[in-house]
Amino acid sequence: MKWDDFLQRSGEWLKGNGPDGDVVVSTRVRLARNLSRFPFLTVANPETRSQIEQYVRGRLQEAFPTRDFQYLSLMRMPMIDRQLLFERHLVSREHAVGEGERGVAINSDETLSIMVNEEDHLRLQAMRSGLQLDLTWEGVDQADTELEKRLSYAFHPRFGYLTACPTNVGTGMRVSVMLHLPAAVISKQMDKVLQTLARLNYTVRGLNGEGTSPVGDLFQISNQATLGKSEQDILSEMRKVVPEVLKFERSWRHKLLHDEPRKVEDKVWRAYGILKHARTISSEETIELLSALRLGVHLGLLSHVPMAAVNELFVFTQPSHLQKIEGKALDPEQRDVVRAEFIRKRLP
Amino acid sequence: MICGKCSKNQATVHVTEVVNGTKKEAHLCEECARSAGIGMKFTFSISDILGNLMEVPKAGKGETGSLRCPECGITYSEFKAKTRLGCANDYEVFKAGLLPLLEKVHQSTQHVGKTPRTVESVVRKESELVRLKRELETVVKSENFEKAAQIRDRIKTLETELSE
Repeated sequence: MKWDDFLQRSGEWLKGNGPDGDVVVSTRVRLARNLSRFPFLTVANPETRSQIEQYVRGRLQEAFPTRDFQYLSLMRMPMIDRQLLFERHLVSREHAVGEGERGVAINSDETLSIMVNEEDHLRLQAMRSGLQLDLTWEGVDQADTELEKRLSYAFHPRFGYLTACPTNVGTGMRVSVMLHLPAAVISKQMDKVLQTLARLNYTVRGLNGEGTSPVGDLFQISNQATLGKSEQDILSEMRKVVPEVLKFERSWRHKLLHDEPRKVEDKVWRAYGILKHARTISSEETIELLSALRLGVHLGLLSHVPMAAVNELFVFTQPSHLQKIEGKALDPEQRDVVRAEFIRKRLP
Repeated sequence: MICGKCSKNQATVHVTEVVNGTKKEAHLCEECARSAGIGMKFTFSISDILGNLMEVPKAGKGETGSLRCPECGITYSEFKAKTRLGCANDYEVFKAGLLPLLEKVHQSTQHVGKTPRTVESVVRKESELVRLKRELETVVKSENFEKAAQIRDRIKTLETELSE
């Protein structure tokens, strides 16, 4: 495994060239699956865990034999590397910091990652840039069908795919769309959005998934119900709901630019100024300023900055990425210095 | 700003309280805010929701609570505490408790989505079997014994395949 690859490339979802990329950062679809011949991980002892990991790893290697796929075992991996996978959204926080035999299979453009021994035996996820519900679903569906030929899933005619947590049972499918809603936040309209989504049975989380608060005006919205709706039902509901939020955010952006053009310009250029010249900067401040920058790029105020550069900075300025780039462990203060330097170099 | 309680983390939650006309301000980090029970509308977790739903008292709660899955060994009470099941069999064993829970979370208790191909073929065979048995009765009644023999053979094949 060459970790340098991760630093040389960026995932497809970071390219920022997907449809509706002004508001939608990425689309993710994940499927939760368990094997019928093993107990769930809740009660599995280390030996069983290890058997499950070995068994699934074997089937994964059969199903995806090309060199395009690599399997990484997490148990003996240094924390900094696991953290990098998390910052990259290839594994969940729980999977990164967890214990016991577990792993992840990743393809080279990072559009597909399959976690082994997370909360369920298998968590397959596909990720794409912008709003690409169908393509993302197809990616994960194909991988699932390919694996299904080689292993027997825990399935019940009434309850569907059986999962450790009953909130995932049925399709085991969670569709998450990451939205950038700075205008709704600035105009104090987020409560309205959140209330509407809650009423429609959607969950809203921050950038880093479950239990995280929103930073950088980034919100992840996902379906809550997984039983009683087919995969296509879940997707088509999403196809109706997301455009409404996009319309809302865009009209508030328009209003902001129309009513208070100086205020918006000032916010964007101040963010640019700090990012371009700061000598030390925390990750929290970076994310907030990048959010303003992202808004500025899409409002046409910062035409010389490509979207991909902004999206990449969101990921590459996080602690593990910085330490990998530097090739050594850094304490928080050193990181703030390195981060500022990195941004100055990368920001056009 | 540093959290006023733990003095370690960055304060991200700012609370203003007015008690007897005196204004009090507190600046807390997310963790301390949460442990102080200050509403974080963005950060509720699935298990909190589940935990709350399962608080709903049920008739015969005592019996349900002590139900134990013979395969993985967990009891319904243990499931309630952890909000995670121990094995696939739990869905059958704890069905009575799970059904109202699933109804609340998903507004449904019947899967309608993707089905593994192996299962699909079993379901298909089962429904073919039901259909053939009905057809057999009709052809026997109409004394079409040649056709009846064919159907009987097919039934036998299907039954052997399904019992494997």
